[in-house]
Amino acid sequence: MTDIVMECRNLWKIYGKIVAVRDVSLEIKEGDIRLIFGPSGSGKSTLARCLAMLTTPTKGDVFLRGECLTKPGVNLNKARARIGFVFQHIWLFHHLTALGNVELGLRRVLKLPKKEARERAFRALREVKMEEWANHYPAQLSGGQQQRVGIARALARDPDIILLDEPTSALDPELTGEVIDSLRDLARKGTTMLIISHEMPFAREVADEMIFFDEGTIVERGPPELFFTNPSSDRARRFMARLIKRTRRE
Amino acid sequence: MDFLIEYFPLILRGFFTTVQVTFFGVLMGLVLGIFLAIGDLYGGKTISTIIKFYVEFFRGSPLIIQLFIFYFSIPTLLNIPIDSLTVGFIVFGLNSAGYQKGYIKGAMESVYEDQMTAALSIGLSKFQAIMYVVLPQALRIVIPPWGNEFCSLAKSTSALLIIGVAELTSAGKSIASWTFRVLETYTFIALIYLLWISVVMKFLDILYIKVKIPGIEITA
Repeated sequence: MTDIVMECRNLWKIYGKIVAVRDVSLEIKEGDIRLIFGPSGSGKSTLARCLAMLTTPTKGDVFLRGECLTKPGVNLNKARARIGFVFQHIWLFHHLTALGNVELGLRRVLKLPKKEARERAFRALREVKMEEWANHYPAQLSGGQQQRVGIARALARDPDIILLDEPTSALDPELTGEVIDSLRDLARKGTTMLIISHEMPFAREVADEMIFFDEGTIVERGPPELFFTNPSSDRARRFMARLIKRTRRE
Repeated sequence: MDFLIEYFPLILRGFFTTVQVTFFGVLMGLVLGIFLAIGDLYGGKTISTIIKFYVEFFRGSPLIIQLFIFYFSIPTLLNIPIDSLTVGFIVFGLNSAGYQKGYIKGAMESVYEDQMTAALSIGLSKFQAIMYVVLPQALRIVIPPWGNEFCSLAKSTSALLIIGVAELTSAGKSIASWTFRVLETYTFIALIYLLWISVVMKFLDILYIKVKIPGIEITA
């Protein structure tokens, strides 16, 4: 029964008159890889932030392993410690080395002793092939390297789920590949992930389900093959056509 | 200027008093300023309003009046005797905090949003995020304006002579009135200020470069 890792029910997020997320319900099971895609400004990022409780939803509930995070009095810090989040604009801590970035949560959130935290941080950096850059500061790394550290920071705590908000869209095309490779490795290990991305070949390869998101809500969902062969909604079809054209050009 | 040698112990004592008040004021101002900045940013409306009044009082009124108010009213109100040097410590600390709060808050705001969100996303509490992520970055940025604050406070301590603290300027005043050699005396005193302030400023410059985050070039 409890193989549902994360769930949201009838989730709404409204900013003034703008409805960013409109009545979204979603379940993510252990080992699932869900991929959300859709036009910019459609509310994908807001949805991800609501799921991680980095933004408080206006209405609706979010559950992490059956525990409701949206009712008052929940310790959100504890909940966030079990959710990994990778940001579009990376947002590493500027004043800490790659190792320091990964270690901080292990030391201060999980309260691991110094030695153990260091070992685990190194292990996480190794998973994204950034071990030899451990002592570099973010500003000394390329965008792709920074984002791999971002991924290491998210996965070092062994979170129940990792949410990735367009992890490659701020990067140059030639740097996307290395980040995608890291994500592919995670996928192979069975990490539960919700990925917002427009990397279509990657999506086709790893996603269990693709979700087309527009105007704050789920328009269509299904296995990747559905979208690559014959999406049923007009909007999804048009969007896919554009994406595929762009991917070919690259 | 050999006549000054005779008064050297007096000058030295005055100098140490000035240094003491300056460092105490600047450090108390820093600690209190950090609390005020955090309170203003995260404390909600009421706390933020109280802090605003506090800052306006210390920035908006003359230092000498602040010294008078504390010097004459504290002993009466609290019914405890208080010496003028202690009043100096308190007033300069409180006064400097008013200024430093602004610098620190500005620096915190400049690193605030994305770093805070990232810190929360790994499970840190808001307090931890401030301690481990926001402040370490903000305090690096604040070093240059902090230097200005030090510089201005170090000179403002001369106002203490008005409540009878034997600091550096008051030592000069005494010597000038005993010897009638006004120009030499005050020039010498001014040189002492100039010298020690320059030394500390140089030290802050070095500190600023030492703690700079590698890879980030700040062009001012």
